[in-house]
Amino acid sequence: MNGIKQIFQKEMARIFRDKKMVFSVFILPVAIMIGILMVTGTFQRRMLSNIEGHTPIVYVENEPESFQQFREAAEIKVKPVKEGEVEKVKEKILKGDVDLLLSFPENMDHKIAEYQTGDEIPEILPYYNPGEDYSKEAFDTVGGTLLETYRQVLLGQRVGNLEQIEIFKVDRESEAIQIKDEDKVNGKVLGMMLPYFITILLFAGAMGLGVDMITGEKERGTMASLLVTPVKRSSIVLGKVFALMALTGISSVIYVAAMVACMPIMAKTMGGNIGDGFKISMDVKQIIMLGALLIALSFLYSTLIALVSVFAKSMKEASSYIMPMYMLILVIGLSTMFSFGNTPESSYWIPVYNSSVVLKEILTQEVTILHYVITLLMTFGMGVILTGVIVKAFESEKVMAS
Amino acid sequence: MIEIKNLTKIYKLNKKQMKESKTKSSRKVAVDDVSLRAKKGEIYGLLGPNGAGKTTTLRCIATILKPTKGEIYVSGHEVQEEPEEVRKKIGFLTSDIKLDPQFTTDYLFDFFGRLHNVPEENLKRRKEELFEYFEIKDFAHKQIKELSTGMKQKAAIAVSLVHDPEVVIFDEPTNGLDIITARNVTDYLRKLRDEGKLVIVSTHIMSEAEKLCDRIGIIIDGTKVAEGTLEELLQQTNAQDLEDAFFEFYKLRRE
Repeated sequence: MNGIKQIFQKEMARIFRDKKMVFSVFILPVAIMIGILMVTGTFQRRMLSNIEGHTPIVYVENEPESFQQFREAAEIKVKPVKEGEVEKVKEKILKGDVDLLLSFPENMDHKIAEYQTGDEIPEILPYYNPGEDYSKEAFDTVGGTLLETYRQVLLGQRVGNLEQIEIFKVDRESEAIQIKDEDKVNGKVLGMMLPYFITILLFAGAMGLGVDMITGEKERGTMASLLVTPVKRSSIVLGKVFALMALTGISSVIYVAAMVACMPIMAKTMGGNIGDGFKISMDVKQIIMLGALLIALSFLYSTLIALVSVFAKSMKEASSYIMPMYMLILVIGLSTMFSFGNTPESSYWIPVYNSSVVLKEILTQEVTILHYVITLLMTFGMGVILTGVIVKAFESEKVMAS
Repeated sequence: MIEIKNLTKIYKLNKKQMKESKTKSSRKVAVDDVSLRAKKGEIYGLLGPNGAGKTTTLRCIATILKPTKGEIYVSGHEVQEEPEEVRKKIGFLTSDIKLDPQFTTDYLFDFFGRLHNVPEENLKRRKEELFEYFEIKDFAHKQIKELSTGMKQKAAIAVSLVHDPEVVIFDEPTNGLDIITARNVTDYLRKLRDEGKLVIVSTHIMSEAEKLCDRIGIIIDGTKVAEGTLEELLQQTNAQDLEDAFFEFYKLRRE
């Protein structure tokens, strides 16, 4: 026990006694993450306000008088297409110089006024370029909303009372139609995001530290100084794995706390209401379940990284082994983020995957005790098995002397 | 006391290593059937050229390497059966083992002392004594990476002796040291011998072995070819000094 404690304390001292390490392990990643989110948010907001502020350049062909009056009332300016210049305007749309071309049929007002059942219905063609943001916006506003309102006006003129042809309404807006469990809805957003973030943060945090702690020490020749002390190999391994767990735990708590703290600022930067999805109320049971699983998970990740580090001959080699592992863990996190429906029973027996699933289920309150216990035991058990393998590797002169 | 009985250490070579050592065999016999005994209160020197098997022998004693054949007893404990007990008894120093460059000598001295379960009071006393003797006090609070080669070696020696071990195993302890520091180290080894400890050193420097060692074992190509006091070795070969004696044994071995 003394050996585990001493080695744990030394690994903690390695980080906390060095200001540069504290900065690079705990502060820099948070600053980078928040910085990136804020910068992308600012750019996104600027782009949106730029599009909204843009006055669409719209050309019309064969503009009927009724539309002219209608759009003038709505203060929309358009340019008429000169005789034989339709193709030229279309070319300008392709280049992005013109946003929209509304092509009305000839004498549309007359055709509408003289309409008899069975006649051809007049058709308007709104030409636009889906690859241009301004054009897309003009298509949605002028070509969509405005034309729809124009149609309603003409329809009113033809039928008189519009309610006569409406028959029934569907109210999809009212709050009253939503029968929901508030916690579950909130948990759903969190349940999607959190397992993914936790997976990335825990693993990414442990990656660099773990490689330095084991392969780095081997490479520098400092591991051998531990191997000639009377401390058991298993104590050295556990001391290092526990230190790695603690450090990744601390760093992920800092990341999550920083993200939550910065959420209002980021939400403001992005101009949206993304903070709303993060409201959460957890009961004690949920918190305990979450806490225990996160401890088991950081144990498993730490042993995974330690295992790779102990077999690698150099830090470069260790990093090249760990990268594909990180990718795999990212993919597993993503797959649970977008999984729907019932999870097959066998999934709870697969380490790493099961913890992502159960993390999500704890937050959405769908987890069963049996599934939770299987996951916890599998995660923890796998960590213990890996620790055993690492201890064996520590006893092998071939692995340690390389 | 150290007793080595028929120690053999064979390394398995991979293809790259076979190519490097220009051999077609996938086995390399580093130590071949070596037996020796070293007692308390003596300095035993393993003398041999580079690659003779000195360091491998010492690493087997220190439990870092496992013997392929044979047994090694350190103060009555067999290295493979009770490695932790063996490690309690020994202080081991070799150029391959380095101190963590991020920490200070002061921190590492305490750290290794605690790993060896040295009581806090003894630790303080040992630190005072060793830091004084090796003149470490001036740089005790500097990180290892900031120290010169000589300072690093002094720090490594002090740290390896933190638990006042019964058996001191130093692999080429004066390697890379200036003449004053080297003398300082050899004087300390004599002091340890006089206190009744067993000191085993490996060296390829004839003059050092001549002056320092009470008994010398000569190792060539993994085999112990001779053993005895300086006088005994000189008598056996009719040589004037250890260097001449060594070459006599070397010639005999090659014949």
